[in-house]
Amino acid sequence: MSEPIIEANQRRRRKRFEFRLEIRMLFLTLILLVVLSLSSKYFLTYNNIMNVLDQSVVVGILAVGQTAVVLTGGIDLSVGALLGFGGMVLALSGSSIGFMPSLLLGVLAGGAAGGINGLLVVKARIAPFIVTLGMLSVARSVTYIASGAASITDLPPALIQIATGTILGVPIDIVFLAVLYVAAWWYFGYTKGGRTIYAIGSNAEAARIAGLAIERYTIAVYVVSGVLATLAAAFMAGRIRAVDPTSGTGLELDSIAAVVIGGASLFGGRGSMIGTLFGVIIMVCIRNGLNLMGIDPYWQGTAVGCIIVAAVAGERLLSGSKAG
Amino acid sequence: MPSELRTEAMARAPGESFAGELLSATGIDKFFGSMQALKGVDIALRPGEVHALVGANGAGKSTLSRILCGHIIPDAGEIRIRSRLMRFASPREALAAGVAMVTQETTLAPDLPVIENIFLPRMALPGRLSRRDLARDAEAIIADLGIALSFSLFDRVGDLSIAERQLVEVLKAVAGNPDIVFFDEPTTSLSPYESERLFGMLAILAGRGKAIVLVSHRMEEIFQISDRISVLQEGRIVGSGIESRKLSPGSLINLMVGKELSDVYAHHLSGRVAAGARPILRVANLRADPLVKDVSFEIAPGEILGLGGLVGAGRSETAEAIYGLRPPEAGSIELLGQPFRPRSAIEALRAGIGFVGEDRRRQGIVPDLSVMENLLLSQLGLHRGFRWSAETAGAHAVKIARSLGLPPQRLADPNLLLFSGGMQQKIIIARALSTDPRLLLLDEPTRGVDIETRSTIYKVMRERANQGLAVLWISSDFEELLGICDRVIVISDGRSVADLACRALDVEKLMMFAAPKTSSNVLSVLLEQLASRFAGTAFWVYLDEPRVYCFDSATASGAAALLERGTVLTLDQLPFGAALRASEEVFTSDAEGRHSILTVSLATKRGHYFGHFGVAIPAGTILPPQAEIVGMVRGAMENL
Repeated sequence: MSEPIIEANQRRRRKRFEFRLEIRMLFLTLILLVVLSLSSKYFLTYNNIMNVLDQSVVVGILAVGQTAVVLTGGIDLSVGALLGFGGMVLALSGSSIGFMPSLLLGVLAGGAAGGINGLLVVKARIAPFIVTLGMLSVARSVTYIASGAASITDLPPALIQIATGTILGVPIDIVFLAVLYVAAWWYFGYTKGGRTIYAIGSNAEAARIAGLAIERYTIAVYVVSGVLATLAAAFMAGRIRAVDPTSGTGLELDSIAAVVIGGASLFGGRGSMIGTLFGVIIMVCIRNGLNLMGIDPYWQGTAVGCIIVAAVAGERLLSGSKAG
Repeated sequence: MPSELRTEAMARAPGESFAGELLSATGIDKFFGSMQALKGVDIALRPGEVHALVGANGAGKSTLSRILCGHIIPDAGEIRIRSRLMRFASPREALAAGVAMVTQETTLAPDLPVIENIFLPRMALPGRLSRRDLARDAEAIIADLGIALSFSLFDRVGDLSIAERQLVEVLKAVAGNPDIVFFDEPTTSLSPYESERLFGMLAILAGRGKAIVLVSHRMEEIFQISDRISVLQEGRIVGSGIESRKLSPGSLINLMVGKELSDVYAHHLSGRVAAGARPILRVANLRADPLVKDVSFEIAPGEILGLGGLVGAGRSETAEAIYGLRPPEAGSIELLGQPFRPRSAIEALRAGIGFVGEDRRRQGIVPDLSVMENLLLSQLGLHRGFRWSAETAGAHAVKIARSLGLPPQRLADPNLLLFSGGMQQKIIIARALSTDPRLLLLDEPTRGVDIETRSTIYKVMRERANQGLAVLWISSDFEELLGICDRVIVISDGRSVADLACRALDVEKLMMFAAPKTSSNVLSVLLEQLASRFAGTAFWVYLDEPRVYCFDSATASGAAALLERGTVLTLDQLPFGAALRASEEVFTSDAEGRHSILTVSLATKRGHYFGHFGVAIPAGTILPPQAEIVGMVRGAMENL
C-alpha cells in the first residue's frame, strides 16, 4: 500500500537527475559551443582551442579559490589585486633569490594577505564584501608602490620555461589547471573538510552546533584564494614575460562571474567545481568567440555582461531555486 | 551504533554510580534583559522515562530545554549528569555529555544530503569520509527505530517536506547515541499519523533506558505518551515530576495557567454574529503558488474566523494573498461585495485590511526606528501627503496602545527590541488597529508572548469584533483557535477542507481534519479504491456520540455522494447511524433502505481509536465479500 510514497520519491529523484546542476551546465556549454562554431570557422581549430584553454588558466585558477569562498557564503573581491601583489613579490624577488624561493615568497605573501581577509571576517565579524574590498585597494596600492608603477620584465628564466613548457605535448599550465580542478572536485565532494565548507555556507548555526571548526575553515578558504592568486600570477607572468602593476585588474569580477554562472549561490552552500569549470569555459569562450567574430572590443563588455545575467537567470529559472 | 561522540565524552565514565537520575538541574535562573525567564527551576530526569515538560506559551519551556542542551548559558544554577557537575559552554559539549535536542526551528543544512546532515558532527572527526559507512550506520539507526523512510538518504534536505525534515532531525539527534533527548514541540508540523510514528520512536528510545523530554502544550499527547510531567508557569516550576496517571487534564491546565488566569478565553461568549450579515470578505477558489491551492471561505463583520492547519499547509500564504503580499494565480477575493485584487500591501491597507505577520522580527519590527515610530509605521503608509507629523497622527494610535495595556511612558523608548515579546506584539497589534481596519488578519498573534498578553489580546479582539471588526485568526495552537474563534476553516495541503463551528469540535478532531492527504496517502488511496471498485461511497468518520465527523470520503463517479469530507453530523441525521454505532463488520441496510453499509472500527498499532472506515453501496447490488474489505482496511492500518 505504500506505492504512492515510492512514486513521489521516484518523482523527486527523477527531477533531481534531470535538472542536476552539472547537466544543465553541460547543455548550456554545448549550446554555446555549437553557436560559436557555427558563427566562426576558426573556433574549432586546434590553435584556437589551445588559445581558449590558455586564456582559461588564469581565471580558472582564481575561480577555484573564489568557489571555496562563495561556498562558505563569503565573497573575495581581492583576488585580482592579490594576483598583482603576489606576482609583483615574485617578480621583484626573482632576480636576486632565484625562481623557487621567489615563488615560495609570493605564495606566502598571497596566503598571508588571504589570511588577513579571513581573520577579519571571522574574528572582527566584518562582512566579507567590505574586508576584501579594503584588501583590493590596499594590495593594489602596495603593488604600485613596490614596483614604482612600472612593469617588471627581468623575470627568472625558469619561470618562463615552466610556465610555457609542456608535459607530453600538453602545456604545463593546462595540466596544472586540470590537476587543480580534479583535486578541488574531490576535496569538495568527498572529504570531511569539503563537506564542512558546504555545511558552513548552508547553515552556519547547524555547523556550529555540530561542533565543526567553522572559524578555521572560513579563514582557510581566504588563504587558499590568496595562494591561488599568486600561482595564477606566475602563469600569467610566464606567458606575457612581464609583471605589470595593473595585472589582474577586474579579474575578481570575472572569477565571481564564472562561479555564479557555474550555479553557485552567493548565499553559500550551493555550487560545485564542475559547475565552476563550465562557468570558466563559458566566460572564456564568449570572449574568444566575440573576438573571432570581429566584434568591437568596446562592445564586448556589453555582450559579456548581458550573457552573464541571462545565463544566471536561465539557470535559476530551470532549477526554480533561490536567487544567487 | 556510532560512538565517536561517546569516546570524547569524558564526563560519562562507565560504571559511575548515580542516584537513579540521569540529569538533575537545580536553581536555574535565566534573565533576558530585565525579564526573568526562569526563576530557580529544578528538574530531574530518570532513565527510561518520557518526561513531559508542560507550560503555556512563554512559560519558559523552550528556555529551560535550551539551557539543559547547552544552547544558552544559565545565569545561575547547577546541572548534573549522573551526579557530575556540568557547565555546558556550547551545544557541542552537551552533545558530548549525551544530551541532544530535536528543535522546532530546523538545525539542518538544506543544501546537504540527508546522510551528511545526520552525521554532521562526524565531519569534525579525523579520518576519511566514507558515504558507504555513513549509509550503513544510518540504516542501522533507522532499523533500530523500526521505521521506514519515504525519502532517500541521498536526497537534498532542502527538497524534503517539513515532516520529513523533522524525521531527519530525530535521526540526527539519535545518531550521536545520546542518553537524554529533548523534543521541543515536535508535533506542531506533524499530522496525527506522523505524530503516532514519532511517539512510537519515543517509546522505543525510552525503552532503551534513555530519558526523553517532550516539550509540549497539547494535552492529549502529554497524557498519551508521558510517564511523568513537570509543569512550568511564568518561569517557575509548579509541578515537578508528577506521575502522569495521577493527573487529570483539568488539574494539569490549572497548574499550567494558575487560578487567576485559568480562563483566558472567558470573553469568548459575548461574541455573536448577526444572522444574515453580509460578509466583509469572500474568498473563492483562491490559488497562490506554491502553497495555496484552493481556498474558499467567507467572513462576516463581528466574526472571529480561525484558519487552522499544520505548519506549511498554506495558512499564512492565504493571509498574505489577501493582504496583497502574494499575488494570486487564480480565484477571486471580494471585499464588501466588490472584486478585490490588491497588488501591494498599501492597497489592502487603504481598503481597510490590517495585518499582523507571524514572524515578528521579520515582518513586524523595524529595529532602527523608535517604539513610537514602529507604532505609527502604518500611518506613514496610509498618509498621502508629503509632510507628516507624528504628533497629529499619534494620538489615536497611542490611545489604542493604551487600551492594550501599554504604559504610555514606555512608548518614548528608543528601542523596541528591548521590550518583551508580549510588549512587542502589543505594539504591532496596536499599529494594525490604529488604521481602523474593517478586517484584521492575525498570523500566530500569540506566539512567544506571555499569558497575560495573550489574555489581553483575546479580550481586545473580542471587544473589537463586538464593535463589528472581522478577524481572521491563524494559529497552530488548536486550543486557542477553539477558544477564541466562532468558526474554523481547516486548511490542508493548501485546500480549505472543512468549515466548522467551534462548539462542535475539539483539538483531536481538528487535528484529524487538518491532516494532509499526502501524509494520509494510504487511507485516501484505499478510499478511492473501495469507492470505485464497489461503485459506491467510502468514508472515514470519527464517532464521538452524538456527533459523527467525516475526515475524508470518496465517491465513485456516477454515484451520489453520501458524505462530504469535512462535515460534522449527529448520528440521528445519518441514515446509517445505527449501523455505525453497532459496527459489526457486516453489511446492513440503512434506515431508508437505499444503501448497504459496512463499517470497520480502526485503532492504531498503539491501540488508539482512529475512527471508522465505511463502505456504502447502492441497495440491490450484489454484496462484495465482507472479509476482504475488512482485511484491506486492517492491512492499510498496518501500513500507516
